[in-house]
Order: sequence, then structure tokens, then C-alpha cells
Amino acid sequence: MKSALYNMGYFLKEARRIIGLNRLSSVFSSISTGLILFILAVIITCWSVSALLVETMQDEAEISAYLDRGIGNEQAFGLVEAIKGIGGVWDVRLVDQGEAYGRMEAILGEEARVLELFDENPFEAFIEVRIGLDELDRVAEEVGSLEGIDHIRENREVLERIQSIAAGLNSLGYIVIAAVGISTLVIVSHMIRQGIYNNRIQIDTLRLLGAPNGFIGFPFVLAGLLLTLAGGILASVLIVLLINQAYGGMAGSLPFIPLPPRGRLVSGLVILIGATSISLGVLGSLFGMSSTK
Amino acid sequence: MIEAREVSLRYPDGTLALRDINLEVEPGELVYITGPSGSGKTSLLKLLMGMEYPTSGSLRVLGQPIAKGEEGRIRRLRKRIGPVFQEFKLIQGRTVLENVMMGMRFLGLPNRQIKENAGSALAGLGLEHKALSRVENLSWGEAQRVAIARAVARKPELILADEPTGNLDHENALTILDLLTSFRDTNTTVIITTHATHLIELQGNAVFIRMNGGDVSVERRRKSNEKCLI
Repeated sequence: MKSALYNMGYFLKEARRIIGLNRLSSVFSSISTGLILFILAVIITCWSVSALLVETMQDEAEISAYLDRGIGNEQAFGLVEAIKGIGGVWDVRLVDQGEAYGRMEAILGEEARVLELFDENPFEAFIEVRIGLDELDRVAEEVGSLEGIDHIRENREVLERIQSIAAGLNSLGYIVIAAVGISTLVIVSHMIRQGIYNNRIQIDTLRLLGAPNGFIGFPFVLAGLLLTLAGGILASVLIVLLINQAYGGMAGSLPFIPLPPRGRLVSGLVILIGATSISLGVLGSLFGMSSTK
Repeated sequence: MIEAREVSLRYPDGTLALRDINLEVEPGELVYITGPSGSGKTSLLKLLMGMEYPTSGSLRVLGQPIAKGEEGRIRRLRKRIGPVFQEFKLIQGRTVLENVMMGMRFLGLPNRQIKENAGSALAGLGLEHKALSRVENLSWGEAQRVAIARAVARKPELILADEPTGNLDHENALTILDLLTSFRDTNTTVIITTHATHLIELQGNAVFIRMNGGDVSVERRRKSNEKCLI
């Protein structure tokens, strides 16, 4: 430990020399590691967004109950009260024709001009019932059977599709994590093996002088760590640029997709990429050293 | 210090390099190992450094056994030895100072101490002006002295020098021998292999190990007549 502290400058200098022995190879290793880590960061970002989307949508399971034609306001409010009494219902409110029109205008954005083609409001009033996803079937059946309710619509299909996309992303994520781990380990361990081969005479001399394995090996571990850390920095820069661009774009065109707070997402990703690159660098170097005779 | 009992060394190809060697060396002794090429001088030094293990017999260096399975102890033992290799084994692409310092970096010494030791070793060998030269730019004799500086800067208990006078002219060879023998004054044991017997034949107060085809004869001279060397 004392030796390690005294020699930190020497270790860093040696690591820099090991990297510099095959500069072009080192640069390409760092770039490829960076791109691999960037792919990992993209997948994790998609995970994060889809998890938030699913979580939000879980809370937004809802039934739209359309009323019989000619039903009056008083009867409609009576139905609202009746629905409130059904177990598992979180919130009930009456959406009148004007609000239904306004909502569609917000969703269509610039395309809302198409609504002006109608002579009168084409949307019907309905009762919006918010419930837990697990209760959807039972509540839908009970609401549908109430007198004054013409038909109901629910968003189960959309929710299930989003859940299945999220599950698919999860599976893809695991595959990407495995691919990132394996390919980074292979790249780093190959670089370290090459470094050890190039320094075999020096290593042999140090052994004969009595240098412990830790002293001989530490610069190689440091070199692997610096290579992947450089890749990690590259990946961090790329993902920050991508997130900034994506948030800017989605805020305008897809405002209804919930996004995690940008600052928290970016800082979390940078920390994760840094920790992953350091771990993979150290592991790759150790793997490279252990597989070298 | 060094104790060999019936030590033999046979290489994997069947060559018998050393046969039933018995040897005792005390701390602070100067030992010359002589003999023609292929007589086993380097093999004996390799045994003493733990680069080879005895095929039979027992060998202890600085109290540590040299045997298979003792690699960890041998690695630690090497920290107490100052080796001067026949082919120098200087690390290319580094300066003279870096080479000398590298031999001490894992001894637990602070950087200041390492620099001081390296500086005084280089000064003792007349190499201070070459401290920042790269070792590949040195002459043969200079490289030889750097190898010695690296060995002695560690302040070892045992110096093992393999043919340190090889390829040196008479005057430089005497200087090197003189320098190495001077370490006896610090109670350091010095073992030197050489086939240049004319340089040491008048040497006194030393142990002479003469090797010939695996056989060994040991002679101890107690008389001090080192001046005859020069």
C-alpha cells in the first residue's frame, strides 16, 4: 500500500506509456468502447422513459361511458354519483361536449383545423371513470350495465400494448447489457494482452528484481481503466447531446409522452456510464492479465 | 548466507549443469566463480537467484530455501539481492536514472530516498552526467555500469554479478571489479562469475569457486593482497 502511494506517479506514467505504445489501436479501442457504452445508455434511457410511461399509464386506466341520446344533465349527474359508488373507482367526472372538443383540439395541435369542417360539434358528452388497471374488467361491466349508459370504451388495449413494448425493451436491454459487457471485456483484455506482450522483457526483468505481481500488473489495470474511461466520457457526451435534442423535439411534437426530469436522467446516466466503464476497464484488464502466460 | 548441500541441476533436455555442489558463503565474503564457458557458472548464479531450482539437494540463500513451491518467498528474497545480468537487462526506451530507480520502486522506499540512492549509485560509477540519457544510446561499458548501479542502489545484502567484466577492456574491467569488491566493506556478500581469471588470480581474501563440467572446487584465500589487482 505504501509502495502504491509512493509510486502513483510512476504507475500513471507507465499506464500512459502502455497506451501510447500502440496509440492508434488504443484510440480505436476507446472509440469503440465509447460507442458500445453509448448504445447501453440509449437503451437505459428508453427503459427509463418506458418505465415511466407504463407507470403513468397504469394510473390512467380509464373507462369512457357514453350516455344514451337525449339524456338530461340531471340524469347524467345521477349516473356520475352512481358510478362513484362502485368499488375500485378512483375518480368520476362528466366531460361535456365542449370539453371533449377542446381535448381533441389539443391532441391534434395544428391539425385541429380539420374540426372546423364540421357544422356542429361532432363529439358526445361522456363520463370519464378513472380506476386501477386491475379493476378494469369488473368496473367496466358494472358501469356498462347501468341504465342510461349507451356503450363504454376503455384503454386496456393501448395499455397492454405499451406494457408489451416496455417488456420487449427490457429483454432487449438485457441482451444489450450482456453484449456491452462481453465486447468491452474482449476489447480491453485484448489491448492489455498486447501491452503485456510488448512489455514482456521489462516484466521479466522486474520479476527477476523481485517486483511483486501487483506492482507489475497495476499499470496495466490502470491503462485498461483509462481506455474505458475515455470511452465512457465519449459515451456521456453523445448521450447528453442526444437527450437534449430528443427532449427539445418531443416537447414540441409529442407532449403527451411523460419524460423523466432531464437533469436527473442525465446525471444518473453519466454516473452509470462512469461506473460501468471503470468496472469494465478493471475487469477487462484483470481478465487480459490472467489469460496471459 | 548461502548454504548448498549436494545440489545438482539437470535441465529438462537432460543436460547436467551442476553435480553435487556443497558450498557455504558467509556474510560479507567476496566470491569469484570461474571456469570456461559452459562450465555451469551462470547455472549456479541462476540457482542463487531462484531462476532455476535444484533437481536434488538443498539450497538456502539469505536463509530462504530455493525450491519449487517457494515462488512467493523467492520473489521476496530477490528484493534483498542486487543482480547484475550478463546481458544487463536494462529497460529500453527509459533513461539511465529511470532504470536505476525502477529497481527500487517496489522496496517500499519514498521517492526522495529512491532518487538519492540512484543519484549516489550513478555518481559512484561515474555516470551522473548520463542520468538523463536513454539506455539504448549508451556504450557497452556504460550500460554495464548502469546495470551495476541498478544492483547496488538497492543496498542489497547479496550482489550477484554474472560476467560483469565481459567485453570490457582491461582498465574498465579492473575498475568494475574494484567497485564490486568494495561492497564487502558494507558487509554485503559479493558473488562474481568471470572467465577472466588473469584479473583475479592475485586477489586475496576471497572465495574461489572453480567450475568444470559440473564439478566444483572451492578455495578460500584469507590473505589480503588486493592491491596486486591494479
